[in-house]
Amino acid sequence: MSGFRIQSWNAVAPGLNCPEDWRNWLQAPYLLDTQLAKIPLKQIPPLLRRRFTELGRCAAGAALPLLEDIDSIPSVFASRHGDTPLTLSLLEGIAAQQPMSPTGFSLAVHNAVSGLLSIARKDVSEVTAIAASEQLIAHALMEAMTQLQEHERVLCLIYDVPLPELYQPYVTTEPFPFALAMILSRGTGECFQLAQQQSAVHAEVSELMAMMKCLCGLEEQVCFSGTRGSHWQLCKADPEQV
Amino acid sequence: MSNLHLDVKQMIIEALDLEDIEADDISDSDPLFVDGLGLDSIDALEIGLALQKRYGIKLKADSDETRQHFASVNALVALIQSQAEK
Repeated sequence: MSGFRIQSWNAVAPGLNCPEDWRNWLQAPYLLDTQLAKIPLKQIPPLLRRRFTELGRCAAGAALPLLEDIDSIPSVFASRHGDTPLTLSLLEGIAAQQPMSPTGFSLAVHNAVSGLLSIARKDVSEVTAIAASEQLIAHALMEAMTQLQEHERVLCLIYDVPLPELYQPYVTTEPFPFALAMILSRGTGECFQLAQQQSAVHAEVSELMAMMKCLCGLEEQVCFSGTRGSHWQLCKADPEQV
Repeated sequence: MSNLHLDVKQMIIEALDLEDIEADDISDSDPLFVDGLGLDSIDALEIGLALQKRYGIKLKADSDETRQHFASVNALVALIQSQAEK
């Protein structure tokens, strides 16, 4: 099976808080802030909320509105770099021979955001936290699709924050924090198909931008081409074939 | 509230990022963990680190004695005072 349905989605970035915001922005883009305005996360009790760094607030801010009527859902959390600002601050602390903050250490692991959300939602469903150097979106969707074999629906959450300046010369990332949450379903929502491609397709915009255009109905397909490994294409599909 | 009580409460607020809580909101005698303020095990480790940084107090991670020291602000104040007398 390479087809699935997207039952609902939501995404956040600085100044963009819902699908309508994204659609308007993609049609008339302007430079986004590099920092997220504080998302209130009122659904999460204050003592737990203080543990969410910008990365976690971003991810939770995108996912929580989709999960209001869902008690339990297995999920895939995908981030290329994880909480690099936090990790760097811990490394700087080690270099300065300062004792490490236990809270900081516990939040620096790749599955920290998923752990916080599962505690906040009291949801003990299975969680997979992945990273991919390229084609993060394609790999996250693939992981979520395989979980659809076992479950009726799966949350797929893709998120990153800009790298600290120290790391920026080494890799190009989105210059703003973002999170994209999608509920993949076997039976409800618009149909998509993910297929392997023989050759790379030159992309004019980033994977995230291409994906958002497709979700907003501005494009029919997205190509995920890497500099190495395989190439993938996501396209809208006929419900009969999914 | 003595100066040391206030100091300990401010240490807790800063070390644990308790943004919405002020020193006056923390009781001297109520439990800090689970009931009362509602802190958790990671907070306990964080307070242990803050005690070490601020007052030079080192505690064993998992002894009954440590549990008693962490029971309330009053207990932490008593610990700091007893260490200062040594």
